[in-house]
Amino acid sequence: MLFLQLLVNGIQVGALYALTAVGFSLIFGSTRIFHVAHGATFTLAGYVFYELYSVAGAPWIAALAAATAGAGIFGVLVDRFVYAPIQRHEGSFFTVFVASFGITIVVQNLVGTAFGRGFVSISSPLSRSVELAPGLYAPPTAAISVLAAVVCFVGLHFFLTRTHVGMALRALSENPDLVRVFGLDPRRLSSYAFALGSLLVVPGALLTGATAGLSPALGNHVMLISLAATIVGGVGSLRGAACGGLLLGLAENLALWQLDPQWSEAVTFVVLFLFIVFRPAGFFGRVATQ
Amino acid sequence: MLTRSRALAGFAAAAIAAFAAAAASADDITIGADLPLSGPNAQYGDIFSQGANLAIADVNADHMLSKTLVMDYEDSQALPQPGVVAANKLVSVVRVPYMLSAFTSVSKAIAPVAERSKTVAVNGGGVGPDLAELGDYFWNVIPLANYEVRAMVPYLVSERKLKRFVLVYVDDPLGDAILKELQTELPKVGGELAGALKIPRDAEQFAGIAARAREAKPEVIYIASFGAQQSQIIKQFRDNGVSQLIVSYSGFDIPAIKQEPEAKGALYTSQRMDWESNDPVTKRFVTEFKAKYGKAPNYYAANYYNAVMLFAILAQGLEKKGEAITGENLLKERKAVGTFNLVGGKTEFQANGSVIMPMQINEVDGKDGHIVH
Amino acid sequence: MIAYATNLATLIAINAILAITLNFIMGYAGIFSLAHALFFGVGAYTAAWIAMHVTGDFFLTVSAAALVASLLSLALALPALRVREVYFVAASLGLQVLGTTVFAEWKSVTGGIGGVIGIPPAELFGVPISDPYAFLALALACLSLVIAVTYALVRSSFGRSLTAIRDSESAAAAYGKNVALIKTLAVVVSSALCALGGALYAFYLSFINVESFGLDTSILLMAMVIIGGTGTVLGPIIGTVLLLLLPAGLSYLSFLPHTEIGSIQQMIYGLAMVVLMIFRPGGLVGARSLGERK
Repeated sequence: MLFLQLLVNGIQVGALYALTAVGFSLIFGSTRIFHVAHGATFTLAGYVFYELYSVAGAPWIAALAAATAGAGIFGVLVDRFVYAPIQRHEGSFFTVFVASFGITIVVQNLVGTAFGRGFVSISSPLSRSVELAPGLYAPPTAAISVLAAVVCFVGLHFFLTRTHVGMALRALSENPDLVRVFGLDPRRLSSYAFALGSLLVVPGALLTGATAGLSPALGNHVMLISLAATIVGGVGSLRGAACGGLLLGLAENLALWQLDPQWSEAVTFVVLFLFIVFRPAGFFGRVATQ
Repeated sequence: MLTRSRALAGFAAAAIAAFAAAAASADDITIGADLPLSGPNAQYGDIFSQGANLAIADVNADHMLSKTLVMDYEDSQALPQPGVVAANKLVSVVRVPYMLSAFTSVSKAIAPVAERSKTVAVNGGGVGPDLAELGDYFWNVIPLANYEVRAMVPYLVSERKLKRFVLVYVDDPLGDAILKELQTELPKVGGELAGALKIPRDAEQFAGIAARAREAKPEVIYIASFGAQQSQIIKQFRDNGVSQLIVSYSGFDIPAIKQEPEAKGALYTSQRMDWESNDPVTKRFVTEFKAKYGKAPNYYAANYYNAVMLFAILAQGLEKKGEAITGENLLKERKAVGTFNLVGGKTEFQANGSVIMPMQINEVDGKDGHIVH
Repeated sequence: MIAYATNLATLIAINAILAITLNFIMGYAGIFSLAHALFFGVGAYTAAWIAMHVTGDFFLTVSAAALVASLLSLALALPALRVREVYFVAASLGLQVLGTTVFAEWKSVTGGIGGVIGIPPAELFGVPISDPYAFLALALACLSLVIAVTYALVRSSFGRSLTAIRDSESAAAAYGKNVALIKTLAVVVSSALCALGGALYAFYLSFINVESFGLDTSILLMAMVIIGGTGTVLGPIIGTVLLLLLPAGLSYLSFLPHTEIGSIQQMIYGLAMVVLMIFRPGGLVGARSLGERK
């Protein structure tokens, strides 16, 4: 029964990891920008919702809309005002990475100053578990997480295959120069990628806030997982990132079956390290050692 | 290149000038405090300094010393390395004879600094039992965790008839000490430790641990963590179907836990402090604390009040004898006097610099908590 | 006052060693490692263990520290040989997190979260170095050694091969350079010298614990190198001085709330990183853009 319980926990966590990872992968795949600040987007979305819903008492729909808008706008702003100027004159991987890192640090500390460095929780009856079977507990948030993930992925798939912008984004990830030849503006497409990728953090941020609580340092952890999932799943493959996220969520929880909790985080990174050394292309990616 | 080096030299000069300007005036007696002023444990630092500040005001109002007593606060962030840097500053720059310390891991780190420089370091918050072994210059005004566990265990087993314990703990000196205590004390009274789950200090997700805790079918869950993590553990355990009684040590004595709805009914030990007592020192502390801060006092604040008061009493004794206020003399004076009238009643020091006090068991009830034993 | 300045100077010297060695692989070899604090830790723990169980002789402990760090650095060299950029950063991140967990768990050697207490002072030819001024002299001597070695390597043909590999790995290989060997050597040298910093740190504080060797420290070191200027000799030193004086400086600005000093410090260097990358990616001392030689 413990195993089954851990499996359920793993799926709940994995669904949220998958969402955030796909967001990161979408951005990285389309723009080749190592957007470490994706973790900061996650933190911001969570705290915006917390502030509006738990502190100011606004209706959850309004708070959700604000968090979503906030996440998207933040992503686009970072792209426009930080990455774009850098790419204009130099744009090496390293420079962009460092700038993104700087943003994460600034956001983390701003949030810490405003809300305190401890945990805040979004109280909701939805986080209370229901005993499905003796020894097997699952909260409604587990079902919501999986549902949200499925809905978002279906929506994303539709967007990428049926709309012009979506197809242009896919083209961008495969061949940026060709996109320019066809008269599309990579800069504008990049903004779309950032907006879309950033939106995907919102379900994860909210649900994590309701179950485990938010803290300024949470973004870091989420970022690491998204990065690991993207690589394990294969850079350039959204399906891979989603599977990677789910896999890592499962691994993190199933590891608890036998190991002490301190090792469950380490397990994630052992998996990542092994993939990078032996199969950098991940599950679904194209070989990319450049 | 020229402008840049000049700018850097200017910056360095300004920095040095700033440091020099911060030296304390010679008309004061300065003692130090190496407390968490920032970071996730700043809430403890706030409580500690409230007590200390009240004591300083009282010492100066009573003119206990020939000069004004002043406190130099430095930030340890509740981490050993910044704690050592801060302690070095207090000892070498500000040259205090006496400093307040907090948190077991920080205290262990600064004890060598105190010992080497013969500066007295006093702890009023950390309860790790190895705090009693840190040398002559490290004192504790708070009873240590082994006494806390020894108070809780018999009560739970005999009065509440709860025998099966599961411990959830952070693998640091405090957590380890509580584990050892439970392992030795439980069998003595007929209880058993059915499981001991280690958690990382910065862990945020406890659903899996809750599942493992449930698996062991406990009657009582003992939590040995501190700060914000405690609230998270309680909430997530309750969310994940753990309905058993939750107990802990005095680390639960913070507003975050007292107000937490999921923590209702939890029990924790702390030093026995009868706030209603007619003992003059205690009464004064309670009245003034309520007046100044608008809320009832707590044990941590009282301990740091006591730590400062202790210095004042010792220093007063030294001044009367015409001796200098140094760490060495303070230690001698403490050993000579032995017992002191502090908040909570007569406090007696043992040879190893720690104190024994009666304990009480408190229950979280959403307000200020009440004593159950 | 002097004692405080000595304390600060010693910490600056130790951190400068770490920053310079990180710059060696980041700025010259293009290997962006987020695991540098690990080798710092390995050096510190090794030196501490040897000092407490065998001998406090400085040369012996440092050599042991460097040796262990070099061996371990092969774990970092492995991904460095196979992948670049994102993948390498991720691998170094993974190694750092893994290493931190090992430090926290391996209680018998590292003391776990409680750390190692009461490390005896270093002994130079049998004389214990416990006086702060003597220790500062020792730290500065080590710093000079590290600067000299790094400078010599950078100016040598080894250094030129390194930058060639950084700028274009395939071209360097086409020229007959043994890319794998050169990269591995760079990582090994960097880690060994970093361990020297670790040993100094352990002796200086007499206490070490896992807090000082985690991801936050790796990030701080990276910030020092970037803000000061990659690919230069002076850059990392300037970065170290600035970032270490910053919190001390901030605490004297009384209008800043005491509890927020840590956050403000981090915000400043985070912001500095962003602004510098937009306008001056070479850092304060470095070149206008990353590719330029200095």
